[in-house]
Amino acid sequence: MLKDAKILVIDDEAVIRDGCFRILVRDGCRVKTVENGEAGLKLITAEKETFDVLLLDLMMPGISGMEVLDALRGVDDNLIVVVITGYATVELAVEAMKKGAYDFIAKPFTPDQLRIVVKRAMERRILQREAENLRKEKEKSLKDIAYEKSRVSTIINFMVDGVLVTDRESLIVLHNPAATRLLEIESLPIINKPLSQCINDNNLADAVDAALNAEESMYLEISREISPCKGEGVFFLRADVAPVLDEEGRVMGSVTVLHDITQEKELNRMKSDFLTMVSHELRAPISAIQQQLSVIQEGMAGSITAKQKNMLIRAKERTKGILDLINDLLNVSKIDSGIVVQHKELIELEDVIERTCQLMEPEAEAKGIKLSMEINKSLPLIKADKGNMEELFINLIGNAVKYNLKDGSINIRVLREGESLRVDVSDTGIGISEKDIPRIFDRFYRVKDNQTRMIVGTGLGLPIAKGIVEAHHGSIQTNSKEGKGTTVTVFLPCEKE
Amino acid sequence: MEKAIKILVVDDDPDFVESVKMMLEDRGYEVITAYDGIEGLQKVKESFPGLIILDVMMPNKDGYAVCHELKSDPQYSRIPILLLTAVVSEMSKTTYTHRMGMEVEADDYIDKPVEPSELVKRAEILLQKI
Repeated sequence: MLKDAKILVIDDEAVIRDGCFRILVRDGCRVKTVENGEAGLKLITAEKETFDVLLLDLMMPGISGMEVLDALRGVDDNLIVVVITGYATVELAVEAMKKGAYDFIAKPFTPDQLRIVVKRAMERRILQREAENLRKEKEKSLKDIAYEKSRVSTIINFMVDGVLVTDRESLIVLHNPAATRLLEIESLPIINKPLSQCINDNNLADAVDAALNAEESMYLEISREISPCKGEGVFFLRADVAPVLDEEGRVMGSVTVLHDITQEKELNRMKSDFLTMVSHELRAPISAIQQQLSVIQEGMAGSITAKQKNMLIRAKERTKGILDLINDLLNVSKIDSGIVVQHKELIELEDVIERTCQLMEPEAEAKGIKLSMEINKSLPLIKADKGNMEELFINLIGNAVKYNLKDGSINIRVLREGESLRVDVSDTGIGISEKDIPRIFDRFYRVKDNQTRMIVGTGLGLPIAKGIVEAHHGSIQTNSKEGKGTTVTVFLPCEKE
Repeated sequence: MEKAIKILVVDDDPDFVESVKMMLEDRGYEVITAYDGIEGLQKVKESFPGLIILDVMMPNKDGYAVCHELKSDPQYSRIPILLLTAVVSEMSKTTYTHRMGMEVEADDYIDKPVEPSELVKRAEILLQKI
């Protein structure tokens, strides 16, 4: 406690000065002594070092201790003053304490008495210092908070996206200018007003209500497309709404971020129109060619030789290849632009798979391949685009046929696994080597060896399958042994009953 | 063979129409042709075919619109319609229904290009229904 305590002694009596010095230095204090008030004040005011405790004699020639106390006021309020009284008069001590002294010690005193008094003064000094630090810290953090607050509000106000915060009762507590602009709110202010009264679009108010009532789930985000315009021109916003939770996970309010997606939607529409146009322009002539080849090949336009027929069959295979490529490219760009899922509805996946199998049957039969199905009873429904699902299984079963051996087999298994519907498409085909497996979902990647050379394909089938599965929040994996066969497994989330 | 059944083929691609015509004529059907939606509707009224094979993407009224018009007219609603689609049929049909807000009730769909045997098979199934 006394170690490194900085003590100043002001006393005209050399005995007292020397005594104090010796006793306190022994305890580790750093002590300075002066013989009158003037010298003492000079040290306290001028010197850079500050003292913790001042031992001050009241009766001195020159300026008295009382005068020193008066002079100290306002100069160093933190200095702890202990007065030394020669006559042990209580009145004088009381007067000194009124002037700000902390304690007193009467002459003559023993070393222990001095130690106790200085120790108590030091305790006081340390407490005072801690209180001071706390006060400074508090001041600083208040400043930080104020600064942080203004910084956050500056950031929010400058955002292009709209931000809207409500409390638990769906009253608006915070918003930025972008939010009122995007939502076309004219009757400002809207703070403390119910959200549903401020906006035209019920969709957003519903989404906010849903977020506010999401008590049980720890994290939730609702994304809605809304169109709140009342004036001219149609525009679209994407609203992402999330509940604001307190430390115990209770919903305190909601935060909504509004993003203008009008242009995105317009671009998507243009892209999809363009793709449809291109697909028609490319497909139409090739379809016509292929159909004309069919007519000739079947002898409907007059008899042809066996050799001619063979060439026509090969020509038709090539045009079919081009058509497949166009289809696949279209599908890839659809997946890229996020328009793969056209129309989600509740479907029985096993029906789609059964129908696809029937569709693929002739192709499999031609290679002597047996198609079998194991479908579990009472499977759950899934929410999916029927067209996408057909596309997916045409792809997977098509591969199983294409890469199978003559007289091989294909088995399709549909079962429930946890919260997912699992479909295995297994074949007894040529399989995929370990080094190729990581790349088979890459676009345009095709395994090239003696066995696959004659198989026509675009290298887009599996990437499309993967795109479709992922657009439905599912996953796809492959297991294969070279020369033994391949199993492709698809997981799709079940609809909750 | 009794009097040949009339089949109307409507498509804006003359080569396509010709090849389909040859496929059907090979089986003994009488084939009438039209090259856009409006001409198609006219031919239906003129010659009352037993079956209509109709392309979707055409100028001057597309196949869906022609189909919708015929199916909502009690005089022609019983003529079976086989729609020719260029893209995966299920998808384009649902998208169309969504966009135009009208039901498309064709009797069957077939993807282009068509195999002669498949076309004849589907046509025969539809003709038996009447």
